Amino acid sequence: MTPRKKALILPALGRAWLALVLVFLYAPILVMAAMSFNASPFYQLPFEFSTRWYQDMAGNAQILAASLRSVGIAVATTVIATALGTAASVGLFRYDFPGKRFLQVMLFPPIAIPWLIIGTAMLVFFFAIGIGRGTPAVLIGHVALALPYVIVTVTARLSSFDVTLEEAARSLGADGWTVLRRVTIPWIAPGIVAGALFAFAVSFDQFVVSYFLAKPGDSTLPVLIYTAIRKGFTPEINAISTIIIALSMGIMFLAARKARFGGGR
Amino acid sequence: MAELATPADKRRLATLLSPAYLWLTLAVFLPLSAMLFFSFVTDLPQDAPDWAFTLENYGKFLENPVYGKLLWKSLKLAATVTLFCILIGYPCALVLARVIKGRAREVLFLLVILPFWSNSLVRIFSWAIVLRGNGILERTLEAILPWDIRLNLMFTTNAVVIGLVHSYLPYVILTSYLALQAIDDDIIDAARSMGAGKLTILRRLLLPLSLPGLLAGAVLVFVPVVGSFMEPRILGGRVGTYFGTVIEDQFVAVYNWPLGAALSFVLLAVVLLIFALTSPILRKAQT
Amino acid sequence: MSSVEISNVTKTFGKARALNDVTITFEDGGFFALLGPSGSGKTTLLRTIAGFSFPDSGTIRIGERNVETIPVEKRDIGMMFQNYALFPNMSVADNVGFGLRVRKVGAAEEKRRIGEALELVQLGQFANRMPHQLSGGQRQRVALARAIVTNPKVLLLDEPLSALDKTLRVDMQIELKRIQREIGITTIFVTHDQEEALTLSDRIGILRDGRLVQVGPPREVYDRPNSAFSAEFLGETNWLPEAVLPGLSLPGGGEGFRFAVRPEALGLSATRPEGVNALEARLEQRVFAGAMATCIVTVQGQPWKLIARDRDLPELPANAPVWVSWAPEDTVAVPA
Ligand SMILES: Nc1ncnc2c1ncn2[C@@H]1O[C@H](COP(=O)(O)OP(=O)(O)OP(=O)(O)O)[C@@H](O)[C@H]1O
Ligand SMILES: [Mg+2]
Repeated sequence: MTPRKKALILPALGRAWLALVLVFLYAPILVMAAMSFNASPFYQLPFEFSTRWYQDMAGNAQILAASLRSVGIAVATTVIATALGTAASVGLFRYDFPGKRFLQVMLFPPIAIPWLIIGTAMLVFFFAIGIGRGTPAVLIGHVALALPYVIVTVTARLSSFDVTLEEAARSLGADGWTVLRRVTIPWIAPGIVAGALFAFAVSFDQFVVSYFLAKPGDSTLPVLIYTAIRKGFTPEINAISTIIIALSMGIMFLAARKARFGGGR
Repeated sequence: MAELATPADKRRLATLLSPAYLWLTLAVFLPLSAMLFFSFVTDLPQDAPDWAFTLENYGKFLENPVYGKLLWKSLKLAATVTLFCILIGYPCALVLARVIKGRAREVLFLLVILPFWSNSLVRIFSWAIVLRGNGILERTLEAILPWDIRLNLMFTTNAVVIGLVHSYLPYVILTSYLALQAIDDDIIDAARSMGAGKLTILRRLLLPLSLPGLLAGAVLVFVPVVGSFMEPRILGGRVGTYFGTVIEDQFVAVYNWPLGAALSFVLLAVVLLIFALTSPILRKAQT
Repeated sequence: MSSVEISNVTKTFGKARALNDVTITFEDGGFFALLGPSGSGKTTLLRTIAGFSFPDSGTIRIGERNVETIPVEKRDIGMMFQNYALFPNMSVADNVGFGLRVRKVGAAEEKRRIGEALELVQLGQFANRMPHQLSGGQRQRVALARAIVTNPKVLLLDEPLSALDKTLRVDMQIELKRIQREIGITTIFVTHDQEEALTLSDRIGILRDGRLVQVGPPREVYDRPNSAFSAEFLGETNWLPEAVLPGLSLPGGGEGFRFAVRPEALGLSATRPEGVNALEARLEQRVFAGAMATCIVTVQGQPWKLIARDRDLPELPANAPVWVSWAPEDTVAVPA
């Protein structure tokens, strides 16, 4: 073997390893998706195609209500978190002021502290101040979890923004808000869209915090799924789970493309 | 970037920042403070008028060895999961960053991190389907392998580990990849021009230079796994009792919120300790 | 030390032909500069010699050995990179010792040779610094020490000094030349800077679109370019218009040649000088640049450039009618 051929063995092994890991990551999801189309309720083989579980699911009022609630909360979270997060990013980017570093660091606790701790803390606090459990509590919690993601994404986009563009606009007579609307916002638009998609995903996939904050019988989709799993598997859950994962992967795919995550070179 | 020159600037800054930070205060920082408070009371003030301050909740943690054991069990679980994530994920990141190039790299990288952003509960549930006794995995292996096997993975610690590794593996790949691809190609070329083989380059350059990224990934896995409760519940069944599940119980089953708050704070203390120990290296990873 | 022989080497990237049938010999102990416009294949040639990439066809010999299928780590070369490429996680001494460690020379020997190499580049007292604690010039010296410490057969440099500012660059050129002489290593370096190529090397090669268009000692290539491309690429050229040729004394050839004069060969005067080639011109502009001055004149409607010591130029108003002149032997004849 020539030295050049020998040099190709390690990379080939590496590629094989990567392929195996991708199988590990996707196989269970694909199995679940396949089983949601299997007629047998006990996941028996041989496989027999059926859309029965999707029909059942569509007729299940509880699942429908939870889906509707989840989507509603996710949309509301997206709107609020994107608006507040974008404003905060612009403020943090545009101005230098004492305590700025502190404000930036304050974005990390909601991301880094386990959701179990944050969720239970919210539960305790919301009860103490009278908000209690329920959809408003869930919404407040989701927005808080989504905000740091929006701010980080938008800030990343802003950091590639050429400040002299703003100065140029100003020298042409535009006032602060005009500059923001006509120059800054259009530039960071892709970052805002990516941030919004992140916010939607954080809310729509959120289980832990919703679990502690949702009122029983008034739960979001992930909480409903969790309860159902603990009672015993049902293929309907399988069907709705397949829909959820397709949806959330689709959204994240778009967000990643927008944010150009890990791209380049 | 501008200094705050005029009162108008200050007003504008406040308008931009305060909504987001007020929200975070209301929903994260005040609750954490409130929970600290509740961890030192006998009863919830809104339920029982005769509440009092006490150290008893933390005392229970110290007195009853079960809590300590479960915390230790959770730490061990986190260490195991982190180790597997590193062993599986770092080589992946290496291949992505240093072997695969161009468009294929972008697509594969996206494929690796995509599951991570999808619903973690559903992904754990999908493992439950795969790992069930007489389930898909056993059937597939039976079809491939000549002998009869009984894996009996479901409702074991192994199942919990598999599910958690699956959940958090992309973290390690992501952070390691970012660190590895930031390494200048010329440095590797320089080492090769001096006669270094692949292993030398890995050991003396790639590994040390990407260590901060790898460590960041490890922390991002370790911390949430210590506090996991949903994954052990679904995949661990009866053996799936951990520190996280005990905390969950205090809030949704036993309704001993002060004890739950105290246990949550113990967990938070552990988390903060981990951050404190690793922050010098993590800070290096950011730059 | 060894010679390097490249024979009929061709390298393509997709459709682009980066090297096209290149044949060249780099003599043992020589200092060789590769010049050429951007994209002409200089880096590709250097990396092919190094062993980072492999030719599609052709042979490469380093010393007695055919190396065209041998990867870089087995070729025993030294290389210096444009942005230093120092290992950021290792001290200066560890950087320099890296290649020795790979070769397992033993701790004592390693220490001795690191010390020697650092002395050679005058960085003895910096052994324990980290790369980020060094200035650009110091980093460059570490990179050089690291490249030569293993006594490689050939030293390859890809625009090694282009990241340095002008003064530092000149210092490093002198340093590089001194060290190259001292250890007598065969050296091939790529540069954009023609002045650097002319001062440092004892042979230069000019590349164009993956082909080697001219090879020779700097003076020869400068004085006798074999093509208009070489002439224009190396130094500046004032082309003689066809119409003025009959009145001038020109070196041999004639048919099939074009003629040019280098800016520094030209003289400027108000009246026609005797015994030299002279042409009527008009002074457009005179730019003072310290010791030297540059004049732009128009000859037969064409702009010419003229460089001379400022004190040698007569004081003349702009737009004055002038004479430009040069010794007949300073005429550059270029095959058309
Ligand atoms: N890895 C590659 N893939 C595709 N094309 C390449 C690659 N490397 C070089 N080329 C092409 O080969 C040609 C020669 O490139 P090379 O880098 O050798 O030029 P160069 O003379 O070093 O230029 P410069 O002075 O700008 O550094 C160029 O057209 C370039 O685009
Ligand atoms: Mg080049």
